[in-house]
This record gives sequence, C-alpha cells and structure tokens, in this order.
Amino acid sequence: MKNLVDGRLPRRLLLLFELMSMSLILLYRRDSLDIKIVALAIGLLVVVYGANYILSRLSDGDLYIFLIVSMLMSIGIIMIFRISSDLGLKQLLWLVIGIGAFFGSYFMITKLSFWESLFPVYIAAAYSFFAMTLILGDRKHGAINWISIGGISFQPAEMTKIILVFILACFFSGRDKFSRYKYADYWMMGVIYSFIGLLFIQRDLGTAMIFMGIFTGLQYIYSNDRKVIRANIGLFTIGGIAAYILFDHVKVRIMTWLNPWPYIDNKGYQITQSLFAIAEGSYFGTGLGRGNPSFIPLSYNDFIFSSITEEMGVFTGIGIIMLFMILVYRGFKIALRQDSKFYRMLALGITLMFGLQSFVIIGGVTKVIPLTGLTLPFVSYGGTSVLSSFIALGILQGASEKLTREEIR
Amino acid sequence: MNLEKKRILILLVSLCIGFAILIGYLSYFQIFRAEAVRNNSYNKRLWINEDKILRGSITDRDGNLLAYSEATDGIARRIYKYDRLYSHVIGYSLKEYGKSGLEKSYNSYLVGANENTAINELINLINPTGVGNNLKLTIDHSLQAKARELLSGKKGSIVAMDPKTGEILAMVSLPDFNVNTLIQEWNTVSEDTSSPLFNRATQGLYPPGSVFKIATAIGVIRASNPDDLYNCTGTVIIDGKEFSDSNKNGHGELSLDEAFAKSCNTYFATKALEIGHSELLQIAIELGFNKKLEVGLESSTSVFPTDSKGDTDLAASGIGQGRILATPLNMLAIISGIANDGAMMEPYLVSEMTSPEGKIIKSQEQALIMQVGDSNEITRLKEMLREVVKTGTGRNASIKNVAVAGKTGTAENPTGKNHAWFAGFAPFDDPKVAVVVILEEEGSSGGSSAAPIARDIMIHALNNVDFNR
Repeated sequence: MKNLVDGRLPRRLLLLFELMSMSLILLYRRDSLDIKIVALAIGLLVVVYGANYILSRLSDGDLYIFLIVSMLMSIGIIMIFRISSDLGLKQLLWLVIGIGAFFGSYFMITKLSFWESLFPVYIAAAYSFFAMTLILGDRKHGAINWISIGGISFQPAEMTKIILVFILACFFSGRDKFSRYKYADYWMMGVIYSFIGLLFIQRDLGTAMIFMGIFTGLQYIYSNDRKVIRANIGLFTIGGIAAYILFDHVKVRIMTWLNPWPYIDNKGYQITQSLFAIAEGSYFGTGLGRGNPSFIPLSYNDFIFSSITEEMGVFTGIGIIMLFMILVYRGFKIALRQDSKFYRMLALGITLMFGLQSFVIIGGVTKVIPLTGLTLPFVSYGGTSVLSSFIALGILQGASEKLTREEIR
Repeated sequence: MNLEKKRILILLVSLCIGFAILIGYLSYFQIFRAEAVRNNSYNKRLWINEDKILRGSITDRDGNLLAYSEATDGIARRIYKYDRLYSHVIGYSLKEYGKSGLEKSYNSYLVGANENTAINELINLINPTGVGNNLKLTIDHSLQAKARELLSGKKGSIVAMDPKTGEILAMVSLPDFNVNTLIQEWNTVSEDTSSPLFNRATQGLYPPGSVFKIATAIGVIRASNPDDLYNCTGTVIIDGKEFSDSNKNGHGELSLDEAFAKSCNTYFATKALEIGHSELLQIAIELGFNKKLEVGLESSTSVFPTDSKGDTDLAASGIGQGRILATPLNMLAIISGIANDGAMMEPYLVSEMTSPEGKIIKSQEQALIMQVGDSNEITRLKEMLREVVKTGTGRNASIKNVAVAGKTGTAENPTGKNHAWFAGFAPFDDPKVAVVVILEEEGSSGGSSAAPIARDIMIHALNNVDFNR
C-alpha cells in the first residue's frame, strides 16, 4: 500500500499539537514546576514522535491509525496528568509499555503464520481467563473484572476481547473446515453466549455489550445462514428483557438512563455528575485546570470523556468522537484492502471493538444510551486497557499490510 | 460489488451514524439543555465559588440594609435582616435547596463584580475579587412593613407601586416563611398546604371579580352607548343561568357610571353580550392578559379565555368570573396604567446595581408597556373610579383631604368563600401611589375588607415614601 501523502507532514502536525499541549500543561503548573512535569513533557514527545517515526520505517501499511491513536492518547494523558500528576506519569509508563506491545504484536502477527490454526487454544484461553476472574476476582465499581497477581491488578476481560476476535476470525474464515460439523453456527453462537453469560455473572455489562456487538457484526457479514442471525437477534432481545426483569442492576441502569434526576444523590449520581461536567464545559471548556473534573467519580477512567469536555469544551469532545470515526473508517478500509480472509476478519473485529467500545462509553456518559462501565480506548487511564488496546492496534497495523505468504481465498 | 463488501460498508455506515448521533446529541445538549443542568442546585460547581464570594448586599429605596453577606473563617454567610418581611421579594439562597426571588434572578450580579462584559469576565476569571455587586430596590421598607402588618393573620397579597414610574413600593404575600430558619423548617414549609413558598403577588391566579368591570366598562364605552339606561331588577337570566346582584331588590334604572359605582352585576353581565367575546378579549389583551409580566420573580400569566364558550361564559367574563384569572401584580399594572392617563408602566423591583466600590453599574430604565385606551375613555374611566370611592362600593377607601379612586371586587371561587379585592390609586389629580389588595377566601366583600386596608396603605405611602428620590 503506497501512501498518497508524505507521511512526514501529519507526523509534524502531531508534534506541533504535542508541543502546544505541553506548553499548556507547563503554564497550568507554572507555580509548581518540578521534575515530574518535565519528565512527562519530554517523555511524551519522544515516545509519540519516536514511535511514529520508527513505524514509518518499518511498516508499509496504514500509517494513519497510529497517528490518530497518538492524538487520542495525548489528549488523554494531558487530562489524566491534570487530574493527578502521579497517575499521569504512571499512564506515560503504560503508554511506553503499550507501544512496546504494539510493536510486539505487530511483529508477531506479520512474521508468524500459525494464528489461523489455533482455534481450540483460543477457546481454552478465553474460558481460563473467565475462570481466573471468577476465582480470583475482586469487585471494583460494581463489576468483578479485576484480578490481582503479585500486587499487579489486571482485567482479564480486556484480553478476552482480543481472543474473541481471533475465535471469530478463525471460525468464519475456516467455514469449510467447520461445516463438516452439523449446527456449527449454533455451536459457535452457544460459545459466544456462554462468554456473555459469564460477563453477566461478573456484572461487566459494558464488555458484554461489546462481545455481543463484535459477534453480531461479524456474523452479519459472514454468516450465510440468515436464520442464525435471526436466532441471535431474537435470543438477544429475549435475554435483554429477561435481564431487565431478573437483575436489579440492569433495571437501575435503564431507570437512571431514562431519568436520572430523581436519583441524583444515589443511583443516578455518576451520570448526573457527568452531565454537570459536560454542561459546565460549554463549547470551549473552562480551560485546563479551571474546571472541577474531580467532582465526577472515575473522572480519569470511565468518565474521562466528561472530564475532557468540561475543561476543553464540547468541540474537543466532538473532535475525539471524530477521531474514533476516522479510526473506524481506516480500519474498515484496511479490511476491504486485505486479501487474506482471516486477516480481513481480524481487522474488522478489532475495528468493531474500538468503534463499539468508544460509542458505548461516550454514549453512556452523555446519556444517549444506558451507562455501562468501560474505558475509552487509548484515552482512559488504566494499564490493562492501554495494553490490550495497543496489542489490538498492532494487529490492525499488521493486517494493513499485504501479507503475500497467505493463501488467498 | 460483492455481498461481503456491501455488508462491510453497511456496517461502516451504521457505526458512523452512531457517532453522528453522539455529535448531534452533544450539540443539542449544549444548546438547549446545558443551562438548566448547570443551574441544578446539586451541581457542586455552583457552590464551590459561592462559598468564597461574598454576595452583594440588598437595600431598599432609601438605602436601608435588607440583606448582606459576612465572612466567618473564610466561609461566606448570608444574613437576612428581616426574617419574613422579604421572603418572597428577596427570597433565599441556600446550598441545600437552591435559590428563589431576586437572589435567584439577580444571582449573576450578586456574585459577580463589575459589568458582565467579556473583558471584565476574563479579568474576573483570572483575578476574582470575591465580592459581588449590590442591589438597590424600589421597595420602601416602612411601607413594606406596614403592608405586612395590615395583612397579618390573613391570606393574600398587597402590592403597591408608583404609577408614573413603575417602581414597586411594597410587595407582600401571606402566608410567608422565615428565611433565616428555612433550612431547619424546610419540610414543614414546603409541604404546608397553604403554600407559604408561593408568591401570591406574582404567581397567584385569582378570578378578578368586579375589578374586571374596568375592562367591561371600556367595552361599553367602545361598543355600546354608555348613557343608555338599563333597568336592574336584581337578577338576570342569561342562557338559562341566573346572574344576581348583592342588592336583591335591584338597582333600578342605571347608566354606565352608576352601574360601575354600584358594581351592578346584571348590568355588566348583560353588556358583555352586547360587546361580544372578541372585543372583550381584545380589551383584556390590551390590559395585559395572556402576556407574561416580568419583574424578575417567578410569575404566572393572567388568563382571559381566547375561545368563546357561549353566552353564559361571556356574561360571567363581563363581571370577572368564569374562566378569567389574574395575578395581583397584573391588576396593579392595570389600575396604575389608568391612573397614569393610560400609560401603563412596566413594574420593576431593582432600581440600581452598584459595584462593591459604589459605582453604578446599571440603573433600571423606566419603560412603557403600552398605552391603554384613548384619552376620552381613560378620562371617563378615571371619573368612574373616583365615583366608586366617593359614593359607591369603595367608600371605605376614602381619605380625608385626599381624593382616592378605585374599584372593589368580590370574587366567587370554588372554595365557597369569596376573595376580597380592591384596586385603587391616590391622589386622584396627581397619582403617586397605586395599590392592589387581595384577601384570599376572606368571605366578605372587597368594599368592606380590602378597601380599608388599601386606604391605610395609601395614607402611609403618601406620608412616608420619598417619591422623588
């Protein structure tokens, strides 16, 4: 794939953006300049510019997706640093690790070729991640999706999302192989529903929605048996209604979505605080350091979008949505250009994952759809989220290249 | 294009539509909803600054201090000098329950220093002064106190204003509440069925009763012959419904002037039919019905039905009953407009805003709402109003040495106990004060209970208020 525009220009524009936002941070903290800020400023510049530069040397694929992501993570880290400088520095560390993982997964996906044949391994890995969560899991913010090993907290569901994409890509690209079995489509659906059920038990509704979305999206494109899709949608509807009737925490989500104001000091607290912040931000925001994003619970995590909107304005918020829109567009473009069916499906699955996840959490904090806890990819604070997002991005990067050794189906 | 590509594109388009919906909703939210959300009293951002800012003080027209703020240990505290006297005018500003009255409508001035120009807002942002602007009211403190004293023990409202300028001199609504103990008493006060939080002067909607005959009289002058004699027999049946007078024997032969002075119901009910619904509606609109009257307080809009529901309804409208509802403030604007030769001035409560340094930031300009009637109509109407107090139902409002004009009203309502109204002004030749008194569910006539209160208000105002400030 040949780039139409010289790759250096957008990279330099990004550098300009970084320089400007760093000077904003320096200005905001002018009274208490210390080593942390300087470390963050230089660190971020080097990491972002360096990574983009190295990538342009290594990959002849799509160079825009990493630029878009650089932009997203820059806005995110500035906001996180503004809320807490310690978290900001930690996030920088995670970004460095994440970018490392990005190159790692990029190499592994392009240089190794056995990915298509590991279907049983993926299934086993997914179930063992779920088992780990259920056995070792801690409940945080209402959901059991954290496990702690040796002092390091970890969200297995973030990784399971990527495994899910592999499972689906294997299944739909290897239809001939699977069609030997009767009802293969239904078996697959059963497996996916078992994942969603397990997520439900963990009360991780957000991730459950993403799983459902990725599965339904790929099924829509690749399943020749439309009956299965109807069955899927029917089951989903019945399951949704049943969940609403059976589980109080689902009911609460819907109630506080329809009208959170009567529950302003209990069940509707999070969403109303988020709306206050967005309203306060108006078009251009209060200015960095001049708002009160700390009033929002999880202001640097699930609600980072509201924090950004408060201090940088709705226009920045719309900017972030548009960045995700371009990322999704590039992702689909990558898929359309990829000749290998398996990699095409990987690209589609990952793009769906980014697109749906950003839609669900931004829609949730703005009260367009019911709120479910999720991180905003590349923007929110959090090690596992950053790591899994970059691993996924590395796979997308790999899929954007022409993979000649694949047998073209 | 093959099926797979087509489906991929459909998926892409649906995701993009999803994002577009987010962008659309954010824009909608910011344009239409954000203001209301921001001002929700649960929004801690509203208070984080106000804890540090000293709200400006509020004084009456002579500079008597009514409310001010004081800092103790860096926390601002609002002090209301009078527990109940200004509970509906100034209102309250409480972290727990929000704001009301002028504290609410003038909040941005009370917390923000200097003019609200872009430059000043920027300066304020960078270097907040921490002291808000002051308000000077048009209220005369002694008249306000007198009004509350006269109304005490009753339900209702008294409003007085200078008809030439629109300055509101007194505004009292009972029952009221103690602003200084409202936090402790919130539950009792807010659940009280007599609605003490409700400002009857601006929000209360009452049938105006015979006071509305002012409008019908204008109609008679315009659409009928005012000098035609009408024979009142005490009752008249219109479309099957009986309209009766307080004087069961009837008033006998009457012209408009006599009917107005004696507040003859059968006369005005009959004349309303001659005038017709659309003409009467036109006059009501001219007098300010169906249009919001803004004084910076929560207020209701007086209602004159825009649809016609037959003769009985129209006849009831002619005597201020039926579906007509008016706020006391609206009735005050009407009587003031007539007193001021038809020039209805816009009522206002805040005359000046001054910066903490004492510089005048904004002074309220007197504004004409509209010219009511033509000079012949107004001259005749004024004479008729004078006659009400001189020889008619409003004799209890008369003052020795001062010519008073006005109109009484006794409004029937579903509770069964009549509301007593009086709307009037004095002196007749050079009106300085106009007043409206309404006693809710008083059970007696306007002439016997509301008129004497109005008289005392006018006496007090003429003796004590400095009209020429």
